[in-house]
Amino acid sequence: MAGRQIYDPEGFRNVEKDGKTEGFSFRFKLQYYRGITLSIIRDIKVTVDGKTYPREDVRLSVNGETFTLEETRTVISPLYRWEFGDFATVTVLTEGGLSAGKHHISTVQVVAPSYMPFQLEPVCEADFEIN
Amino acid sequence: MSAQIKRSVSLYSYQDEYYSGKLDLEGCLAETAKAGATGVELLAEEMIRQFPNPILTEEFQEQWKGWMAKYGLTPTCYDAFLENRIFDNRTLSLGEQVEMMERDLKLASLLGFQSLRTLVSTPMDVIEGSLAYAEKVGVKIGLEVHAPFSLNSTWADGYMELIRRSGSRYFGFIPDMGIFCRRVPDVVTDKWRRMGAREDCIAVVDDAYCGRVEKGFVKIRYDLNLGKANMEYRNANGLAVLTEQLQKMNAGPADFGYLNSSYTYSWSDPQDIIDNIDHIVHCHAKCYNTTADYRETAVAIPEVVAAYRKAGYDGYLSTEYEGGESLRDALPVDGIEQVRRHQEALRRAIEVQ
Repeated sequence: MAGRQIYDPEGFRNVEKDGKTEGFSFRFKLQYYRGITLSIIRDIKVTVDGKTYPREDVRLSVNGETFTLEETRTVISPLYRWEFGDFATVTVLTEGGLSAGKHHISTVQVVAPSYMPFQLEPVCEADFEIN
Repeated sequence: MSAQIKRSVSLYSYQDEYYSGKLDLEGCLAETAKAGATGVELLAEEMIRQFPNPILTEEFQEQWKGWMAKYGLTPTCYDAFLENRIFDNRTLSLGEQVEMMERDLKLASLLGFQSLRTLVSTPMDVIEGSLAYAEKVGVKIGLEVHAPFSLNSTWADGYMELIRRSGSRYFGFIPDMGIFCRRVPDVVTDKWRRMGAREDCIAVVDDAYCGRVEKGFVKIRYDLNLGKANMEYRNANGLAVLTEQLQKMNAGPADFGYLNSSYTYSWSDPQDIIDNIDHIVHCHAKCYNTTADYRETAVAIPEVVAAYRKAGYDGYLSTEYEGGESLRDALPVDGIEQVRRHQEALRRAIEVQ
């Protein structure tokens, strides 16, 4: 029996805009026990097949809004919490997206709850396939 | 007639069921009642979407009251998270933190809670600055005493002084039963074993833990720099020496991981409960693994509950199941069954003749 599911297995896909593939996206759940204001997210580090993507190319979407990781630093509205148990969508802008076939993803959710003397940095791994 | 200790469940316990979508908030309340508890403890930020907005609406307040009536539950403790570093470039000012604490006290009172859990990172002047409001809304602020902290320590002295100085009955302590661990929880040991910890290294860590229980832990001191206080505490309790010992054994990352993990549990004398009973507003009955015959494998439930009985405590013991965090990387978690077993273990300890 495997451990808990972190990623939405159906959520891995390339993202197209104006007929061009501008990146890829996936959906995953926060590895903590409560929902958080986006402002306490310090980073989302995305590595696929050994390649780590630049922070400025990462976007986070919750409740229909999309933010850069610079923008999340000031997002404190109750409307845009990353709710416990809900998938948030991460989009990584990279021309051409990912190739069709099998891949491995390793993501670190860097979150800083105020009461903790350290940051949470859960590493989230999964194999997936792009069709 | 002796005082009756009451039982509650913290919805923290059902986090894995909520995470997977097996239970929603009402489902958790139904399970709480089924487990035999009459009280419920809520982490609003865990299970109420768009916190705190819904709590401010009459619609949600009515729904919550309806659930309490339907499941025969009393709201016991509201677990607050003072997000005083909500921005990454500064800590909120004292005024902003008091404002946040008062907001949380208000939310707790709107849902009928009797106490509010605040964390050890809460500055003392934020507590002091919120006491008048706490009294106004009738919600006691309880400072969680979580391992590695303990009552009867210089860390607690400052807070006792605050109680004396303010004369307030609206501030006290919420002991977490993780401070009464006779050993490292078996699910924790098994997790590190799964991650590659060696038996000889595990034995060194476990023996050292037993040694600390026998000799008594060196207590952590008060410092809002929690990281610093914690490192000093660990080294005062032998971490540096044990690290060296494991290095000599050519231990690997999982062995050091287990060693460090062992310092997140501690043992206090249950007499601490009796000594401080006048200032205990609630209790987190932490549990990690309760067997089918109702024994918690690490926490000294019978001794701790006996101390509460002896002290005449008539508040709640609130099950807080945390074993899932040692299982969920590789194994299924059954918070529902663990809570059921733990509630029965508490019941037996409370009702023992």
